[in-house]
Amino acid sequence: MVRQPQSWAPSLFFPLLLAAVYSSQFSKAVNLPDFPYPDISFLDFILPACVIQGVLFGSTNSATDLAGDIENSFMDRLLSSPVSRPSILVARLASAFVYGLFQATILITIFYIFGADLAGGVPSALALMFITSLLSMAVGSFLIAVALRTGSQEVVNSLFPLIFVFIFISSAFFPVELMEGWYGAIAKWNPLTWVIDWTRGLTVEGFSWANFIKAVGIVTAIAVIGVTIAIGQLKKRLAAAS
Amino acid sequence: MTNSYTVKGHSFLVGQAFVGRGLMRMRRLPSLMLPTIVMPIFFVVAFSGSFASVVALEGYGTDKAVNWMTAWAVLQGAAFSGLGGGGLTATDIENGFFDRLRTAPINPSVLLTGLVGYSICRAVIPTTAVLIVSFCFLGAEMPGGGLGFIMVYISAIGMAAFMSFFVLGIVFIFKSIKSLAIAQIVMFSTMFLSVGQAPLEAIEGWLNGVAEVNPISHVIRMCRQGFLGEVTWQQTQPGLIAMLCLIAGTAIWARICYRKVDI
Repeated sequence: MVRQPQSWAPSLFFPLLLAAVYSSQFSKAVNLPDFPYPDISFLDFILPACVIQGVLFGSTNSATDLAGDIENSFMDRLLSSPVSRPSILVARLASAFVYGLFQATILITIFYIFGADLAGGVPSALALMFITSLLSMAVGSFLIAVALRTGSQEVVNSLFPLIFVFIFISSAFFPVELMEGWYGAIAKWNPLTWVIDWTRGLTVEGFSWANFIKAVGIVTAIAVIGVTIAIGQLKKRLAAAS
Repeated sequence: MTNSYTVKGHSFLVGQAFVGRGLMRMRRLPSLMLPTIVMPIFFVVAFSGSFASVVALEGYGTDKAVNWMTAWAVLQGAAFSGLGGGGLTATDIENGFFDRLRTAPINPSVLLTGLVGYSICRAVIPTTAVLIVSFCFLGAEMPGGGLGFIMVYISAIGMAAFMSFFVLGIVFIFKSIKSLAIAQIVMFSTMFLSVGQAPLEAIEGWLNGVAEVNPISHVIRMCRQGFLGEVTWQQTQPGLIAMLCLIAGTAIWARICYRKVDI
């Protein structure tokens, strides 16, 4: 991260750009009938989504690095050394979590400086940081599985637009209640919508254990699936290498 | 006279060859075109779906979000296409082919025009794709009729041209395919800081002033007018002027940066 700021800077730049633009462009949208939070600013509404967006964009880094290690044969050297095999996966997952925490901290601080209001104060901010970091690890685990399967940085990077799609077809930037037709129906059943809505509850309504547990629960479920697939792919790669 | 005619004829053929080379690359590597087509289609679907209700606010002038967002997605696609000439040049610089081009008896302006011509040809594909999706699947309307469609294509071609010149300048300075990321950041920022997603009446704060002076706002209005009503000269003129100024400015920028390839 210190040596290659170009690898993480865009994942901070784009959420901040979107937050700055949308909070000006759609500031009057809170006046629309059926808008779920008519008493808050649009910046407050999109804050959790922007943090999640930044963290998800950054979640590709850990998997890209792993794919790079496979491409340049560093992984082979690692496997020929007496390194604990699970630690290869655990280290990458931990890296995704820490990286997510770093990004979330910076983003929340910048939003706070620019006037965002976290209704729950410090507990809500800490909850938001924990949930988004866990989400970074959860989504990162799927990408790590792809990196282990393909060993190609290009393939891992090509999945980036998919993250973009998941974010936009959700309640990230606009409430699902105001979406129409099939688009609204898909957004309603997108797991990311549930994570964002429960996290938004924490930052807009104030901290509540119910919202926190629900958000952590769904993210943990995603992580369990992702890590299981990643373990399977690691086993296959180890079997192929031996 | 004959000599002058021959030079002009030669320049035209060279420019045509550059366009042809780019198009051949597109045919051989269709994966290169995939993001250029898929992303603007996704934009029109996502923005029309996500922000379906915002058209109820003042200033949109339509009751369908797709009518507002199609022009935005078309111009995003055209801007992406503008990266094409830059991408091709960056690859040529990295593998050394560009040095051979520079030693050939080619006028640099012809070389630049050929690369921009390739980007313009690329832009027609996502523009058509977005229009097909918007009209066939999302229920877009064009009260401006045939003139409205002409405005869409003129704006897309103009957008691809000046984005292409701009990206070429960046590539000539950094001489690396990685420099396309810088071009993308500038491209995204200028597109978002405009009336692309919301009208000036709906935008509040600092962005209102920025969007008002952003020349891309005029190009977007020119492109969008047919979706909102009749095509008028009052909407077309500022767009054309902004577009031509942007093309002229970025062409000069690309020509100046071309000299930096040697440094």
